[in-house]
Amino acid sequence: MISNFPQLLIDIFDFIFFGFAIAAISSYIILAIISAFETVNYMKKNSFVNYTEILSSSISPSISIIAPAYNESLNIVENVRSLLSNHYVNYDVIIINDGSKDDSLEKLIAAYDLVKVDYLINNQIATKPLRKGVFKSTNPAFEKLIVVDKENGGKADALNFGLNISSNKYVACIDVDCLLLEDALQKMIKPFLESTNEKVIAAGGVIRIANSCKIKDGKLLDINFPKNRILRGQILEYLRAFLLGRMAWSKLNGLLVISGAFGLFDKKIALEVGGYDTKTVGEDMEIIVRMRRYMEEQKVKYRVAYIPDPLCWTEAPDSYKIFISQRNRWTRGTIETLKKHRKIGFNPKYNSLGILSYPYWFFFERLAPIMEIMGLAYFALLIVTNNVIWSYALFFLIIAYLFTVLFSIITIIAEELTYHQYTKKGMGLQLIKTAFTEPILNHPFILYAALKGNFDYYFNKSIKWGEMTRKGMSNN
Amino acid sequence: MNLIKKIVLAEDNSILSKLLQFKLEKEGYHLLIAANGKEAVTLIENHDPDIILTDIMMPFVSGLEVISHVRNKLEMGTPIVVFSSAGQEEMVLNAFNLGATDFMSKPFSPNELIIRIKRLLQ
Amino acid sequence: MLEFLQNSIDTFNNSHPIIQSCIYWTLILIVSIITLIFYLKNLRYKLRIKGRIEATYQKKYESDLIEYLYAGDDININEQQKQIIKYLKKCAENGLKRKIIINTFLRLKDDISGETADAIQNLYYQTGLLDSATTRLKSKKWNTVARAIRELTQFEIKEAHDDIIQLINHPKKEVRNEIQKYLVKLFRFDGLEFLDVLESELSEWDQIQLLEILNKFNNLHIPDIGNWLRSTNQSVVSFALKLAKIYKQFDAKDDIITLFNHPNTEIRVEAINLVTQLGIFEAVEILKKDLFDRNLDEQIAFFKMMEEMSMPDDLAFIEEHVQHENFYIRISVMKIMNLITVDSNNTFTINNADQNYIIDKNLTIAS
Repeated sequence: MISNFPQLLIDIFDFIFFGFAIAAISSYIILAIISAFETVNYMKKNSFVNYTEILSSSISPSISIIAPAYNESLNIVENVRSLLSNHYVNYDVIIINDGSKDDSLEKLIAAYDLVKVDYLINNQIATKPLRKGVFKSTNPAFEKLIVVDKENGGKADALNFGLNISSNKYVACIDVDCLLLEDALQKMIKPFLESTNEKVIAAGGVIRIANSCKIKDGKLLDINFPKNRILRGQILEYLRAFLLGRMAWSKLNGLLVISGAFGLFDKKIALEVGGYDTKTVGEDMEIIVRMRRYMEEQKVKYRVAYIPDPLCWTEAPDSYKIFISQRNRWTRGTIETLKKHRKIGFNPKYNSLGILSYPYWFFFERLAPIMEIMGLAYFALLIVTNNVIWSYALFFLIIAYLFTVLFSIITIIAEELTYHQYTKKGMGLQLIKTAFTEPILNHPFILYAALKGNFDYYFNKSIKWGEMTRKGMSNN
Repeated sequence: MNLIKKIVLAEDNSILSKLLQFKLEKEGYHLLIAANGKEAVTLIENHDPDIILTDIMMPFVSGLEVISHVRNKLEMGTPIVVFSSAGQEEMVLNAFNLGATDFMSKPFSPNELIIRIKRLLQ
Repeated sequence: MLEFLQNSIDTFNNSHPIIQSCIYWTLILIVSIITLIFYLKNLRYKLRIKGRIEATYQKKYESDLIEYLYAGDDININEQQKQIIKYLKKCAENGLKRKIIINTFLRLKDDISGETADAIQNLYYQTGLLDSATTRLKSKKWNTVARAIRELTQFEIKEAHDDIIQLINHPKKEVRNEIQKYLVKLFRFDGLEFLDVLESELSEWDQIQLLEILNKFNNLHIPDIGNWLRSTNQSVVSFALKLAKIYKQFDAKDDIITLFNHPNTEIRVEAINLVTQLGIFEAVEILKKDLFDRNLDEQIAFFKMMEEMSMPDDLAFIEEHVQHENFYIRISVMKIMNLITVDSNNTFTINNADQNYIIDKNLTIAS
């Protein structure tokens, strides 16, 4: 009996880890299948849509682009120029200079003929106060531009200031260095305008990685596949997440996150829920969860929409240090958001938000790295106590690896069948190579970053956002 | 003494380009065609045309930038005619502020364009 | 070699069933990966070729079109043109080529007016593209039908009206929307007759598209929109209000005033906004009476309206709300006060005691 006990324990642990892995794999497969159907559906519906009509319409709703900026002096003038040249008609651009210590403001004033103006701001959400003030241009060519210089308060605080100052119905919260394609706003506003029986509260799009792409004067000229291994892995990762994941969540009305790099919101609802939370590092996920929760509590039929077209190109981390810092932050953001809203977890009162989205995110996003490290620790324990059946272990690893590779290849095929953006000769081979190397070269760092994130969340409360050094978008 | 007038046409609609090329060359003009603003500027700098025709909405470098470049950077007084689509009145105003000479809104009659060109070249 | 294979198979058969299934799975995965890699390479190759082919055909059709347009100066079609028609007709049997041909025709037709445009239209008939489109109207696939309707709209084929009208109750809203756009593009305001009987909802997106189509026409005879303003279909009312705004339908003022009591808030707010744009002065008194029974959005709209419509006699009424708790109403009140108290000694100086900010007289409000 005593000798059976450890065996029982081993069986239980085997069951737990193995079961978790099977559940994770099944969920990826289900999401991928739903995504595939939804994408086909979307392409059918939008293949003959004429977006140019809404671009020239003065009846089309007005949008405020809100872009917080902190120490972005290197590229800010060019980024703003890019934002001002969007083809949509009714929009303005609000740049929030969040207490930058550099000469961002001076550069903007010089480039766009800005003068300080007196401004009435409806402080619906408490934010840090103005610093140098609000500026507008004397040149009619730049009348869409508003620049705000305020005391530093962080990204969430800056976005809230933007929400306060905007007088338009919809707000697009973006990263200032994000390259928006010319028809991005038209495509993003469409779900808000075409829904008839549900209220669309927010819409998110696809973020593509701009490193190594040729960008000049704020326009995307050429798409290249970077040489950097970290970037290659991220491109594949983003493709997987967007093509085979988010589309499914959109169909199930279970999207919990819209990328902070580009999202369109109904301003009234964003204000009603109190704007962004300045105490969390995952403010982009947290506000969506809060807005969804609010709508569920109001018992109003609603949707968070998702546009699979690539609309926004942004810089991704290309060094391990910054990459780990970013994933660390994402992990802490997820933990914070899930903790803050734990009331909705497994709660049928919140419909698919509580029964589908929250559990999925909890198990397969938040707990996954923990399960993985515990699995590795368990494996080490087995080795030490001489309980390992090597053939099983070996096969487990091989099958897990092959499955990941297969999934990546399917992702690449999905990309070719839909947006086919990496057209140059040789890129196909590079993508396939990345599919093989990513689980070995990138995944360990993601795992490490997630663990560090957990550690920092529980034991290291002082850390906040972390730096991201700007390399500049106009590179080759 | 070069009696053949040179025209630089910047237009990203390839069939429209072809049609205008055909009609204008039939009238005896020498056509230089650019598919976007960047190519247009290169052609203008190299060939010093007698008149410039440009669309406003083009990829990469827009028609407005072409006008600005010609008037401010190159400081040339060449007559510039812009083509605009419907609903772009603001763009047309900007074009004139930057120094455009005339405009034709699409859809336009190619014959009328020829008449205007002849007038501007006198 | 054979020995090795034999040994492997023996080991396999002697293994534990779990190991056997692991081996199966591993092999399945490896084979799948290899197959998909080949598929992927093939796919990329095909896409690259397709791109090149399309570019080549496009060039060919463009030159053919130009040749056709200027081959003959006579009214009668000459031999060269006949050849081109025959060639294009043959090509149009292939779906991909047909798309490129139609696209080429449209790109030119959209930018050029006059005889050339008419000639292209004629060519559309003669190459049999019209027949192809009307055939596709009967397709079982909804997106084929929608595309066909769109094509007929772009080429303004009135003859197809009867065929298209039969589809008016198609289950897919995309198809119904294309039909609506067809009717409006070809028959202008008469095409809007479907609003009389429309039961499904016309989304904002659809409304904007229809308004944009109408916008392109000049000198339109605007019919009486009263029926639509009184419709039981809320989206029709909303659309009619937009029409009233754009086409300055002052005659509709009675119906608009009735809409102040419509069950839907947004309609009521839109109606109030129209008061300014159409200058319906009698509405001011009507709204003043029950202003505070209305919800906040309507009150904000009212005060915004008063910024343009208030008269000096309204001073007493407006003054009461200087300290209203809502920010937007306070701003409107201040603007109105500045407007209507210019001469008297009561000129409103903005010295407020609000803790958050000090206001300067020269305000620049968010645009």
